Amino acid sequence: MIYIAIAAYLLAFLTSMLAFIIRLFATSMLFGRIGRILYLFGRVLYLFGRVLYLFGFAVAVFAYGYRWYDVRHIPLQNLFEVFLCLGMICYPVSWFCQRFLRIGGGFADMLIGAIVLFPAGFVFNAQPQRLPPALQSWLFAPHVAVYALSYIFMAKAALQAVRQLAGKMSNPGEKLPPEEATYRMICVGFPLLTLGLILGSWWGKLAWGDYWGWDPKESWSLASWLVYVGYFHFRYMFGKKHPRINSAWAIIGMLVIVVTLFWVNLSQLFPGLHSYAT
Amino acid sequence: MNRFKQAVLWIGLTLIILLIFLSIYGAFIGAERAKVFFNSLPLSFYWIALILLLITGIWVFSRLIRIPGFLFMHAGCILILTGAVCGSQAGHKLQKKIFGVDKIPVGQMAIFEGESENRIALENSDRVRELPFYLKLKDFRIEYYKPEYLYIQNRQGKSWKIPVELNAEFSLGENNGTVKIVRKFENFKIKIEGDKRVPYDDPQPGSNPALEVEIKSPNGQVVTKYVFERFPGHIYPEDNFFLSYRRVISEYISELQIIRNNEVVAEKDIEVNHPLHFGGYHLYQADYDKQAGQYTILTVTSDTGLGTVYAGYLMLCIGVFWHFWLRHIFKAKKADGD
Repeated sequence: MIYIAIAAYLLAFLTSMLAFIIRLFATSMLFGRIGRILYLFGRVLYLFGRVLYLFGFAVAVFAYGYRWYDVRHIPLQNLFEVFLCLGMICYPVSWFCQRFLRIGGGFADMLIGAIVLFPAGFVFNAQPQRLPPALQSWLFAPHVAVYALSYIFMAKAALQAVRQLAGKMSNPGEKLPPEEATYRMICVGFPLLTLGLILGSWWGKLAWGDYWGWDPKESWSLASWLVYVGYFHFRYMFGKKHPRINSAWAIIGMLVIVVTLFWVNLSQLFPGLHSYAT
Repeated sequence: MNRFKQAVLWIGLTLIILLIFLSIYGAFIGAERAKVFFNSLPLSFYWIALILLLITGIWVFSRLIRIPGFLFMHAGCILILTGAVCGSQAGHKLQKKIFGVDKIPVGQMAIFEGESENRIALENSDRVRELPFYLKLKDFRIEYYKPEYLYIQNRQGKSWKIPVELNAEFSLGENNGTVKIVRKFENFKIKIEGDKRVPYDDPQPGSNPALEVEIKSPNGQVVTKYVFERFPGHIYPEDNFFLSYRRVISEYISELQIIRNNEVVAEKDIEVNHPLHFGGYHLYQADYDKQAGQYTILTVTSDTGLGTVYAGYLMLCIGVFWHFWLRHIFKAKKADGD
């Protein structure tokens, strides 16, 4: 099912890209007969891409639901399950951003969906595991879930920041320039990142006796939180005077998140209390 | 913006960037060393500087008071840092000097079943100190997920996972015969009766979980094998199967009584994620006697500063959600209403 979802997301991405190029080409033909036909074809392709994206999401939801049924606890225990969850929430986050924040990035979201599902399908061990005593807490699900959600928002913010650095202006139909879109996305993701950090700390106190133990995962997650705190302070100090530096903060934040999520769990460099999450 | 305000912002940004690098450095040196590093004297100056800067920020920038989200976020951070300083080793020493309250910051204690104990081995020290109350361990037990499983693999690499059900026969296919678990041991021992070696379940303290398994080949020949959880067996040339017995721990439970002035004042079962809070201390299930399950090891931490840290967490959460989410939602709803 994961492979089907990856294929659907990738096909959706390619179809939408093709539709975009065809429509761009068609509009440049100044609405001749062929131009109109091409435009219509582009429109159909675009809709097909959206349907594929929705289909990929439905498959990811089904895969996640099946995994939940199979392991008999909320599947957020290891990297396989976390990445499956990330692949599933891409679509609703994308919809939310378009509907409420007026921020597009649909193509990129399809690609993000395929990228985050890839390690779940090809890299991580999918062997079901029972929950160890430390994970049997009501804080387990909200702690991991809010982090997963915040990471998707921050990934989208980083993509907007890359667009800004690449000198892209907003697409037709989008109201916000990439720098502003980055800011809005971080504004949505930051409270979730904060909540994830605080819930983790509270849970650490209940399970291990310490609300902050300087475990490598904790240290990296604090570093990622602080990068966004730095972003807000820098943006408050200079506003949009240095948009490239603002964007650099957002990209660095995402890089630190990638390290927190991946490297800390997979590398022998960081043995710690979170090592069960591999 | 005047120069002083600019300086405060620049110092703030510098301290944030410095803490990013320090956190990354802490991740590389590991939790134990990082804990010592972040509690060291130079870092104590850093934490105090950060608290003072946050207070100065609130004092200098009227926006931080006018805008409730900003106020909650920054005041929350001040509370978290203040609580953390109070709960640190240095904070406990200061508390003793100023208020005469002498609490144990953090340590571990081992209690045997049926015995009472109040001595704590202090963390990062050879010293032992006493709690103002005793803890009696009524019972310590480990619970396992059900069903437990016997794992079987044949020489061709085919494997089976069989739930541990006594005397239930499982088929391994036409070419492999059947398998039956006939007995389960919690503490497997062997005694000599006459010239025979007889396995038995020893009721004395100890733990050596094992299964007695009968494997019936397709030609009707029955072989008895013992499979040990702790000592995964070797496969002999004459064996057709590799067997292993694995159980997954679902919970560690210490049944405790708190005794003060020779009276039981409270009782609680401590489990992971369910600590005991009593007399200004939190007690956590930390470890246990892995050989015989006869004693438990508890981590004891003082609750000094914890309330302040939690109040800070709450304020920080309210601040970020109000500032970044809720006020925009309310504003949009108000605009829709107008």
